[in-house]
Amino acid sequence: MLSYIARRLLLMPVSLLLVLGIVFLIVRITGDPVEIYLGPEATQEQIDLLRSELQLDRPLWEQFAIFLADVLRGDFGTSIQHKAAALPLVVERLGATVELAAIAFALAIVAGVGLGILAAVRVDRPADFVISSIAVAGQSMPSFWLGILLIQLFALDLGWLPTSGRGTAAQLVLPAVTLATFILPNFVLVTRTAILEIARDPFVMAARARGASEGRILFAHVLPNALNPVISLAGLQVGRLMGGAVVTESIFAWPGVGRLIIASVFQRDLPVVVAAVFIVSLTIVVTNLLVDLAQATVDARIRLG
Amino acid sequence: MRMLRVAAIMAGILMTALPAAAQKTLNVGVSVFTGTLSPSGGGYTTLSLVLLTSDGLVRRNADDTLGPGLAERWETVSPTQWRFHLRKGVKFHDGTEMTSADVKYTLDYVLDPKTVYVRKTRIGGIARVEAIDPYTVEIHTKQPYPVLLRGLSEIPIEPRLYRERVGMDGYAKKPIGTGPFKYVNLVPGDSYELEANKDYWDGAPKFDRLVVRQIPEGATRVAALVSGEVQIIEEVPVDLIPSVQRRRDVEIVSVPSSVSMVLTLNQLEPPLNNPKLREALDVAIDRELINKQMLDGRGEILQGQLVTKGTFGFNPNLKPRAFDPARARQLLAEAGYPNGIDLTMLTQSGRYLSDTDIANAVAGMWQNVGVRTTINTLEGAVWTRLDRTKELKPINMIGWFSVGDADFNTVWYTQASNRAYWKNDEFEKLFVAARSTIDPQERLRHYGRMMEIMHDEIPSIFLFGLPRVYGKSKRVKGWEPSSDSLLRLSKLELE
Repeated sequence: MLSYIARRLLLMPVSLLLVLGIVFLIVRITGDPVEIYLGPEATQEQIDLLRSELQLDRPLWEQFAIFLADVLRGDFGTSIQHKAAALPLVVERLGATVELAAIAFALAIVAGVGLGILAAVRVDRPADFVISSIAVAGQSMPSFWLGILLIQLFALDLGWLPTSGRGTAAQLVLPAVTLATFILPNFVLVTRTAILEIARDPFVMAARARGASEGRILFAHVLPNALNPVISLAGLQVGRLMGGAVVTESIFAWPGVGRLIIASVFQRDLPVVVAAVFIVSLTIVVTNLLVDLAQATVDARIRLG
Repeated sequence: MRMLRVAAIMAGILMTALPAAAQKTLNVGVSVFTGTLSPSGGGYTTLSLVLLTSDGLVRRNADDTLGPGLAERWETVSPTQWRFHLRKGVKFHDGTEMTSADVKYTLDYVLDPKTVYVRKTRIGGIARVEAIDPYTVEIHTKQPYPVLLRGLSEIPIEPRLYRERVGMDGYAKKPIGTGPFKYVNLVPGDSYELEANKDYWDGAPKFDRLVVRQIPEGATRVAALVSGEVQIIEEVPVDLIPSVQRRRDVEIVSVPSSVSMVLTLNQLEPPLNNPKLREALDVAIDRELINKQMLDGRGEILQGQLVTKGTFGFNPNLKPRAFDPARARQLLAEAGYPNGIDLTMLTQSGRYLSDTDIANAVAGMWQNVGVRTTINTLEGAVWTRLDRTKELKPINMIGWFSVGDADFNTVWYTQASNRAYWKNDEFEKLFVAARSTIDPQERLRHYGRMMEIMHDEIPSIFLFGLPRVYGKSKRVKGWEPSSDSLLRLSKLELE
């Protein structure tokens, strides 16, 4: 088990560095932060001045070497647009995104698994049909559209909730529901399928033959064994959740990292993009590790294999 | 004893709570927000916020006219020497008095070659600044410099002592100025909170607090206005105008801006070096229809010239070429393309009001006369790069804004700007002549002729002066929406 964790931890920096290298190249090659910052009226003098200040006048490979050396020392550089160190800037905005994502994640898992169980128990009956159809429809509904619809209904027509912003619990409801809906259908469908599959296994039949109650079969036998695909799905969804947060934050004016990344990409503000991508990748890599560990704990085949 | 203390605390709470309840707060929803409050960077988005806490020597009004700011009056001693008389008794928010030392400090710092300041070129013609006495400043320009006043309106005066103590970074974190509002708190990406400056030299604002919130998505911005969370929003998307007009407590207000939306044609290479082809493209566009459909009829159809009617340099004798598809087809044939031609138009998406819609409408109209048009939508950073290297061809759609003086947008048609996709020697000479005299009549004559040349040569097809569309609560009275996108909020009343 320990060697398994060690193996995974050793691989982590490799994937992170790979991600940062790709981000560096794409952002650097496709645009010039100095020209964007200074606008069309900038004189060549001003452009040259800022470029040498930011060491952008050096060859690309040299910039990359400086960048790598700085990052390894934990220095992501200074944002040109914000005139502030990039990493603290991202960390400052991280709280908002974590708050939104964590609540949406919890909401999606609880509701998704619950509905999935219900659909599986009532398989091929009206409840299953309704839940499955809504899940499929939900999967194909763009968050953008859903967000606007929710604002229209709950903020404008009913007046129950504020439209946007962050600060009060009420302001969290609509964005959390929107973001949860983005990943919830997957949990419903995967839970349902996993339960139905396990329910066909001989050991379930054996339990039933022993005379165990349906409730006991479901919660003591089927569910623990159906958990594995749901956990691995949860790991995958963390990445999607971060992607969905970008859109949700924009609709609801939620001051999180997602919007910071978008703005910084448009401005080719490399230090911020890199710091943000680093933090987000780190989150994803760590969650994936946790998911693997959880699976290994639940399933001996992974642990030993 | 203990009861007394509790009572005292309760009274304290009540006393602080009561005035707070009576406070009037204005909430404004903006689409883009700045990352820093430093006047040196960030363009108009930043300037708009910076001017809430500070003032320039000269003030530019909501309709682009100029008036006194921190300088109450000024005169020209000679064509290259201006004397500004400062307002007496104006205090920065920290209580120090604003004097000529602050003005000289700010201008010297902006003009220092080692300073990166986004709007530096706006006052680039200044040679030196002299503080004559505490309330008199003289500015010497390298040549006669007619756009000095307009340039100064974009340079907020910074307090010398405070700036020297905290540096630019400290100033950007907590700006102190002479302006109508005082800094309270900035939450990046979310909101900027300010309080009214009760001692403002131009009259204290008639409300207590101001919160500027960033709401990037247009539909959410409109929802926030309708639900009463904010009282003013900028940039109402054209397709959402009706949903504001349907409601009782809110309304749409729009003003013409000085942003001229044009299609720039690369005259330096075939096929658009052919004047007949350029004219064919021009007369094939039904401006009335596009304005009605894509701009809710709020745009100003450009009068066959670059500048809008409200801009200094407008030539009243010019008219746009009439929409005439039959003549467009005929011109196309005469130009040597009886079977039509394939062209590409470059545009950005979301940079200007209804930009892609306008581009698509133009392409449709060109299609009708046989010009098969491909629209290529570029991301902003890519656009900027192609712009620098002059590769936005053969046709690009762009908005040039003049902030009220033709000098600021005709410059893009000169060789020196490195943005021109044509070359006209007479135009070049007139441009230099018009910015080398401070005699308005002479300048107008030059610009009039420059507009004529552009009308004949068609370096760009002139489409619309874009409107700025704001939404506001009917509780907001006496607010003039700005044509240059700077929020000007100190005079309005909140019922």
